[in-house]
Amino acid sequence: MENMIDVEKLTKVYGRPGTGTLAVDEVSFQVERGEIFGFLGPNGAGKTTTQRMLTTLLEPTSGRIVVAGHDLRDDAYPVKRQMGLVPEESNVYTELTSWDNLMFTARLYRVPTEEREARARDLLETFGLWEKRDAKTENYSKGMRRRLSIAMAIIHQPSLLYLDEPTPGLDAQSARAIQDLIRELNAQGTTIFLTTHQIEEANQLCDRVAIINHGKIATVDTPERLRQTIQRVQSVEVALEPDGATHGPALEALPGVTTGVKMGDKWRLYTEDPSALLPLIMDYAASQNLRVVSLNTLAPSLEDVFLEITGGQVGTIKHDNPEDKPRGRKPGGRS
Amino acid sequence: MNNTFIQRVKDEIAQAWTVAVKDVRVYYLRPGMIMFGFLMPFFMFFSFSVRRELGAAEGVARLLALSVFFTAGAAGPFIIPTERRIGTYDRLLAAPMSLLTLLLGKTAVGAFFAIAVSGVALAAGVLFFGTSIAQPDLLIAGILLGAFAFSSLGLVFGSIPTTNPGDVQMPSTLLRWGLLFISGVFIPLSEMAPVARFLAYLSPLTYAQDLMNHAVLGAGLIDARIDLAVLLVSGVLLLWPSIRLHQRARALGR
Repeated sequence: MENMIDVEKLTKVYGRPGTGTLAVDEVSFQVERGEIFGFLGPNGAGKTTTQRMLTTLLEPTSGRIVVAGHDLRDDAYPVKRQMGLVPEESNVYTELTSWDNLMFTARLYRVPTEEREARARDLLETFGLWEKRDAKTENYSKGMRRRLSIAMAIIHQPSLLYLDEPTPGLDAQSARAIQDLIRELNAQGTTIFLTTHQIEEANQLCDRVAIINHGKIATVDTPERLRQTIQRVQSVEVALEPDGATHGPALEALPGVTTGVKMGDKWRLYTEDPSALLPLIMDYAASQNLRVVSLNTLAPSLEDVFLEITGGQVGTIKHDNPEDKPRGRKPGGRS
Repeated sequence: MNNTFIQRVKDEIAQAWTVAVKDVRVYYLRPGMIMFGFLMPFFMFFSFSVRRELGAAEGVARLLALSVFFTAGAAGPFIIPTERRIGTYDRLLAAPMSLLTLLLGKTAVGAFFAIAVSGVALAAGVLFFGTSIAQPDLLIAGILLGAFAFSSLGLVFGSIPTTNPGDVQMPSTLLRWGLLFISGVFIPLSEMAPVARFLAYLSPLTYAQDLMNHAVLGAGLIDARIDLAVLLVSGVLLLWPSIRLHQRARALGR
């Protein structure tokens, strides 16, 4: 079966080639039909630029994008018909009601007249907006506008949905509702391209993730396999009493600890060998007459992978041998 | 022509209409549109016509030309940068329709506005000054084609990639004021010096004013068919820079 998206050596230079700013540098990846594909990266890594090229809003400097077998450069129309786009900012018309917003989008995408109202009603009910359908959206909360924005993007039942940072700024309930909706859409067969810097969200939702950094794809894999690539970045989380928070420097100085991070009333100690560190912590607690409230070993999270690849400081291992660097990491990205 | 092509054309016409109707509902009562589109032609008319010996019919012809000119050109520079700022323009650019369809929809918004405001000007002229219309068919054609041409002109400014309407409204207004003074609106073409008259012939407003003179007064200096042709061709040609500016914005990522 053909991929939903094939990207080959996609490049974007803002300004003149040679003197302009290289935002995306020969990026290549594939998105399979029916998967939720996460596109992760720190701010300025090239996420939004890539997504804008995929959605025809930005012209690539070079490279090729094929969506559902159509080359975007000369055959964008059929792609646009089956594509939905939810941008980072909820771009609803605040002067119109949610009903009118949906009717406008349905007409724009040529949804058959006899189906428009039924689909709009279904979506408004699903998104909990039916009761407010006649209110202008300028009076809606951020979460309500977000839900309406998603409803507008799917009223034509696209087979490919782009979501740019769908949940930041929303309360936990709204964020959960949107995540559930993404799963439901995917279960119905919609391929989802999710651009986000919410690592945990990508971990929970995505079949595969790509991590982009400095305009290049650093890695593409399943969240689980990515975690396995940096098994050495494990950690031990310990809470001590009394005054546990003050013992961080001493805990960080224990043999085998590479980094210590204060996590509320606990300390997370990154190490390559948690089993060797545990008795050292217990010995330290005993020597200082401290009570161990909790002691947990943690496997590397997707966030650890992300930070390792993108050069973050928290919880990362210092590699002396370049051969030890995780797969896909850019040379010179971090010492 | 196959059915797919005909269906595509039908779809594109319907989409242009959808964009236009949405903009009418969303933007017509915005202060920027009322100021630059509705009030401006009347301000200009009264500023340059009060206390001058101007016949009622001549005044109505002038007001009609002014209202079509100013009102049609007000929509593009206000609506498109506003939509770029709030992000709704991306929704339109990503929709399955051609750029030309989108621009024709946007052109229709300014044209509808101009038709409505010139209708108010016409009603005022007929009801309060008892003005009669010498050639109603030319009046209708002139308002329609003038609205199209000047809406296309406004769209050129609206297509400049910016998110601040003020960035394009001021230069757009300055250009329109410039055209106003070289186009035989306040000084009849017949009274102009040869150099000034040459400049006047370069401005589409000259032909709109001459057409209104034909329609209301029953006489103009240029053949009415030429007036109509120039307005139609101007409207079509002025879409080209808008398309180029949109393509440039897409390449620049603005």
